[in-house]
Amino acid sequence: MNGTGTLNDGLTAARHAVMLRLSPDRQAIEITGDTLPAPLRWMLADLRALPGPVGAPHLVLTRHAATEDEAPRDPARLTVDDPDLVVWLRRSRPALFQTDLHPGTRRRLVRAALMAVAAIAVLLLVILPGLANTLARLIPLKTEIAFGESVIAQMERAVGAASLGALRCDAPAGRAALDRMVARLSDGRDLGYDLKVHVFDHPMINAFAAPGGQVVIMRGLLDQAPDGVLGADAVAGVLAHEFGHVANRDATRNALRVAGTAGILSMVVGDVAGSAVLVAVAQQMLDSSYTRDAETKADVFALDMLAGANIDADGFAAFFDRLAQEEGRLKLPEYFSSHPATDGRALAARSFAEGQAVTTPVLSEADWTDLKSICAKP
Amino acid sequence: MTTNSTAKNHLTGTEVFWLALKTGLLTVVTLGIYRFWAKTRMRQLFWAGTELDGDRFEYTGTGLEKFKGFLIAVVFLAVYLGLLQMLLLFLGLNVLREPQSDMEMAAQVGGFYLIFFALLPFILFATYRAQRYRMSRTRWRGIRFGMDSAAWGYVWRALGHGLLTLLTLGLLLPRMTFFLEKYRTDRTWFGTARFEQRGRWQDLYLAMKHLLIGLAILIVGVGVGAMVGAPAVMVLAGVVGYIWIIVGAIHYGVQSFAYLTRNKLLDGQVMFDAAPRTGFVIYTYVVGGLGAALITGVLLAVLGGIGAAMIGAFSGFEAGRGMPGFGGIAVIGLGYLASLAIGAAVAMALITRPIIAHYTDTLTVRGTDALNAIRQRAYDAGADAEGFADALDVGGAL
Repeated sequence: MNGTGTLNDGLTAARHAVMLRLSPDRQAIEITGDTLPAPLRWMLADLRALPGPVGAPHLVLTRHAATEDEAPRDPARLTVDDPDLVVWLRRSRPALFQTDLHPGTRRRLVRAALMAVAAIAVLLLVILPGLANTLARLIPLKTEIAFGESVIAQMERAVGAASLGALRCDAPAGRAALDRMVARLSDGRDLGYDLKVHVFDHPMINAFAAPGGQVVIMRGLLDQAPDGVLGADAVAGVLAHEFGHVANRDATRNALRVAGTAGILSMVVGDVAGSAVLVAVAQQMLDSSYTRDAETKADVFALDMLAGANIDADGFAAFFDRLAQEEGRLKLPEYFSSHPATDGRALAARSFAEGQAVTTPVLSEADWTDLKSICAKP
Repeated sequence: MTTNSTAKNHLTGTEVFWLALKTGLLTVVTLGIYRFWAKTRMRQLFWAGTELDGDRFEYTGTGLEKFKGFLIAVVFLAVYLGLLQMLLLFLGLNVLREPQSDMEMAAQVGGFYLIFFALLPFILFATYRAQRYRMSRTRWRGIRFGMDSAAWGYVWRALGHGLLTLLTLGLLLPRMTFFLEKYRTDRTWFGTARFEQRGRWQDLYLAMKHLLIGLAILIVGVGVGAMVGAPAVMVLAGVVGYIWIIVGAIHYGVQSFAYLTRNKLLDGQVMFDAAPRTGFVIYTYVVGGLGAALITGVLLAVLGGIGAAMIGAFSGFEAGRGMPGFGGIAVIGLGYLASLAIGAAVAMALITRPIIAHYTDTLTVRGTDALNAIRQRAYDAGADAEGFADALDVGGAL
């Protein structure tokens, strides 16, 4: 197989017009040219072609060789224009477009990948949460309360308040009943904050703890509480749970941790079509593992608080039953949800209640009625 | 006697489309990990499709080294960003005394800019290093291109020029363009031969003229309209001025490139001639952009129809359970991502390829016979192989 081509020797940018010939032993291409100092012999087994446009009439050849370069390739290039020779090379050299790696490349890459994953994991799971804990303790009380107030204001806007304070419920009799409930729960305990409980006029069945000892109850929680005085006990259980978050500074810690981890996942996944979804899912799983842990601790705290105030934990259990009904079929797997499985929480509260000695309802029938109408306009 | 050679681009839209589609879909399937190899393969195609003086360019970078560089960069940036953001929130909270929501808004905006300014040096660093990496992986006639390791010098200069441009309300933009390009060019090599940027920064004002005209129309038109109380004049001047500014910005990008290329010198003797046309670039953006949007839109509409039909089938089966199963959602989700990948491949074929081809085909090198004497340069390990640029999303599809 003979032909012509152009050689770049990898040392200068000069072009050498060359003649190509298969060696007599059929093991190599012999390259000769007037401008070449000596004929070259390229082993067929070492021949590699550069990737290029599929339909290109030419082929650029190089050799597999142990070099320092990014790929184990000889720097010399041989451009073959001869159509017959190109066809022959493509047909008879299966290793032509093979990718070659320096020895040990895979091992080094796997090591780098494992180290990167480990470093990011340590950062997301250990360093940033640890730092968030420390910083949450360092924040001055006044600042934390101010931050909490702005969080509550944001929340009020988010649920649709036209102006700040428009959704806050403050009927005097209901407020007095609520204060009595808070006083009974927190009697003899120092949570580190002056507790402040707000009620928002919104049908959502929920309650939140904001930084700085502030708790928000949605009206829906009062409306949907179990019938009778048991309902007041249920609300007390939920409040005790939120006070658990307050005592642990969960809201502040969470805000700091989220600020630290925001953006890191999206940087790892990169600017790929649909990456936003992927990042959201991963972020949700990461966040939920922390919040689930915090919820479990707050539940334990709540049961202890109820016991201390001699309030029946059955109300708390009844609240979880109510929640389970709401969830219905829309149940997320536990690892994905921000809260532990509801039926498990109901069970824990119920078995705790069985062990309780004498309990008294947290509010009188009259007080409970007042609290339920705290959002009624005078 | 000097010998001249005009560069030539040999790629067809079809082969660009198919490779972009293949690599794009592989990127989707591998949750983004393939993107380093995808970029590498696209570059191999574009480089190999470009001919100068009878020889093709060659891209020798590998996806593996890019992936590894990314891993290193992302760990560094994650630590830096994570600690910085958390400390900023902590300090921000401590500064925040009065919880007025407007104040908080301002604090948040301030925090956002702080993050941006904290990242800006790394973005500039990444820009230079990415160019250095691309140069070190480009060869022609077997000879390597290269760039000096001088990224931090670029960072300080870019920050200084940027500040100066900002303070002069953009009036010194040509000065910034010129000196930053000069910094990069004067550190760029082909083998043992160095590039050199000549010319004067004041000459770039000619390329800036449409930008200034658009600005004048906007300011004068809106000003006069406001003075005589004619809202129609204001709206007209606003729209015309705005469009003129966009066209002017593209014109500046194309023609400043052409001027700077015409004033480059290689090895003290090889010269360049560049004559790209702004009109062609704008035409390609408009027509190619419309085409890509149309195709992506049709695909997404078809997909939406299929999705709606599936949900319809479910709700017909049992009222109130209008949710397709997990399989259905997965099919629609994958279809959505695939549609985006197809759209990106169409844009690559209809916008990127013609514009690159236009720049190539209007570039002439004068004195190519002098190139023969240029010798090989040493291998550059390529530092982070563009990892910082990939982590910070600096740089486009190529």
